[in-house]
Order: sequence, then C-alpha cells, then structure tokens
Amino acid sequence: MSLERKDEHDHKGWMESRELTPIESVYLTVLVWLDRRLRVVDYLEILEDLYYKVNMQMPKSHTEQYNLDNKFWYWYPLYALGSFSTVAYIVAAISGALLGFYYAPAAAAADGSPTVAYDSVMLIMGQLNLGYFLRSVHRWAAQIMVAAVFLHMLRVYFTGSYKEPRELNWLIGIVLISLTLVFGYTGYLLPWSQLSFWAGQIGVEMSLSIPLIGEWVAQLMFGGFTLSQATLQRMYILHVFFLPFITTAIIAVHIGIVWMQGIAEPH
Amino acid sequence: MTEDQPAGTEGGSDRRDVVVPLRVYKAVTVFSTLFAVLSVVAGFILVDVATQRASAPASEIDVPVGIAGIACILAGTVVYAFSTRFRTEEMGKSKDDAT
Ligand code: HEM
Repeated sequence: MSLERKDEHDHKGWMESRELTPIESVYLTVLVWLDRRLRVVDYLEILEDLYYKVNMQMPKSHTEQYNLDNKFWYWYPLYALGSFSTVAYIVAAISGALLGFYYAPAAAAADGSPTVAYDSVMLIMGQLNLGYFLRSVHRWAAQIMVAAVFLHMLRVYFTGSYKEPRELNWLIGIVLISLTLVFGYTGYLLPWSQLSFWAGQIGVEMSLSIPLIGEWVAQLMFGGFTLSQATLQRMYILHVFFLPFITTAIIAVHIGIVWMQGIAEPH
Repeated sequence: MTEDQPAGTEGGSDRRDVVVPLRVYKAVTVFSTLFAVLSVVAGFILVDVATQRASAPASEIDVPVGIAGIACILAGTVVYAFSTRFRTEEMGKSKDDAT
C-alpha cells in the first residue's frame, strides 16, 4: 500500500475537459503545482475542522437559538474595544515606567530659564536613544486609550449591554472613563511646557469656580491658587502613583465582573 | 478564450467565470491571496527604499527600484483580480447553475 495521499481530483483530466485560455491553464497549473508541494490548504482545512468541532462542544447561545447573528454580526468587532482599551493601558504603563527613568518632576529655575522637568523631557526627545520613540509611544497609547474607552462605552450603550444585571459595571465604567481622563490631564501637565502651564491655570480656575468648596478643591488638587512646584509634584504623584494603582484595580474588577456575568447577548 | 464558446464557463455578462472543483478553488484562493499580499507588501518596501521613505529629493529617487516596486504592487493586484474569475459549483450565480 502506498503512503502517498490520493488526490480527489485528476487535475490534468479535468483541465483538459474545460476550455481554458492559455493564461488560465498556466495560472492553474502553477497554483496546483504549489499546492501539491506546500500543502497550505490542508493545514487551513485542519484549522477549519478544529473550529467546527470545538464549536459543537458548546451549548447554543441565545443568539444562535433565535438566529440573531444575521442581524447583529456587524457589532461583534466592536466588542474588542474593551480589550483594546486594556491593551492601550498596558502599553502606556510600560512606556510610562520607562519614561520614569529619565523624567524629573521639578519646577525649579523660576528665573525664566527652562525648568528641570521641561529639560528632562527635552533630554528624552533630543539626546536619549529611542527617547523620541518612547515618548511618542506613551502619548499615542494615551490618545488611543481615551478614544477606545469612549467607543467601548458607545458599544455598550448601543447594544443595551448596560441593562440589568450589568448596572454596576456601567457605573464602574463611568469611574474608569473619568480616571482615564484624569490620567490624561495630569500627564499633560508633566512636561511643564507653556501648554502644560496654561492647562494647569485653567484647571485651577475651574476648581475655583465651584461654589462653596472651590478654594478647598484648588488647594487640594493644585497645592495653591497659582501654579508652583507643589502643583507639578501633585500631578506627578497622581499620574505615576495614585492613578495607576486605582485604575489597575478597578479595571481588574470591571473585567472580573464581565467574566462572572458573561458577555451580554443581543435580544 | 472566445466568448461564443463558454464550456464550463458563464457567458451572459462580459465577466468571465470559470467553474473549478472545490479543492482547486481553495488552492486558487489561498495561493493567489498569499501571492498578492506578499507582492504588494514587497512592492511598498521597494518604493520606500527607492524614495528613502518618501523623503528623497526628486533627483535622488532610485528610478529602477521604484518602478520595480510599482510593478510588484500591480502584479499582486492583477493576480488577485485574475483569481476572482474562478468559482466552484453552486457558488455565486446560483440561477445560472440550475440549468
Ligand atoms: C479603562 C476603561 C475600560 C476598560 C479597560 C474596559 C474593559 C472592558 C472589557 C475588556 C469588557 C469585556 C467586553 C468588551 O470588551 O466589550 C468590558 C465590558 C463592559 N464595560 Fe468596560 N471597560 C472600560 C470602560 C468602560 C466604560 C467607560 C463603560 C461605560 C460607562 C463600561 C461599561 C462596560 C459594561 C456595562 C460592560 C459589560 C458589557 C457586556 O456584558 O456586553 N466600561 N469592559
């Protein structure tokens, strides 16, 4: 008995039975030649088979039972946005930790010359090997995270996934998007550039505009009514100490709840 | 191929269709997609090299390499487009198969 696998098709035979243009027969001959040798198709067929067999082990979901996929499938890619936010967060965390080796949160040199913080950012951008790249990765990850979290929220809203019994996770989500934005704001102040400084000024004035507790909030968040070393230091500790611990913990709870409750199905 | 002799092919529109066995159809899809992807990517890499990532002044563009890159991209496109004429029984124009 020969170990050689029999082809289901006698290629030569049927190709002669068709009327093919010369280009077509050369094309097919080349591809069949490759197919005989590389067997990529066989491996893909094995994967396809595996996919169906694994799926047959699972109970039918609500979606399959009522055949909702034909109306709903185009939403499914958007279910990746939560994971996408998580990935962006992890990338920002790693690149931020590396930036931390070179950044110094000091607003010294108030005589008009650039500050220590600004100089350290300039060093990262100009002198440090791959520094420009590292800071760019960190900024892009931050931008992308904000966008992904917001779109994730829209996905949850438009698929109605916030409904009972998932109200708690919606509320946790509101905390998470707020933390994400505070992350962005505190990070924006850290280079202590002109943009940073005046964004900080706006923050102080917004705090002061709050009735009754405004002055207290400005003191607490910005360390005074004018920007100073205290402001930069608070933003720094919020950005690299407070927020990372709190946000990481809450993301873990958020995803843990999704794991426990299962993903919401369309109705 | 003459259009008045559509044996194993579909006439009707000017779009040529060639019906092949399923196994051949799979080989066509897999290998022509593979080829198209690789040659388009390779083409862009060549164009990148020829123009120093689009930063070279016009006088320093490496013309032969640039043309080779564009040719690669076109070749990938043509192969992919060509592969779309093959289909299997019962695929696509089901009305025409039910003769
Ligand atoms: C740091 C920000 C966030 C991260 C990392 C995150 C992550 C995730 C992940 C991975 C899932 C699993 C399903 C999916 O990926 O779509 C999920 C589900 C969910 N998220 Fe978020 N999320 C964040 C922010 C938010 C926000 C802002 C809201 C809404 C205010 C929200 C509400 C929900 C709800 C209700 C679910 C359950 C949805 C379902 O079961 O279909 N999340 N989240």
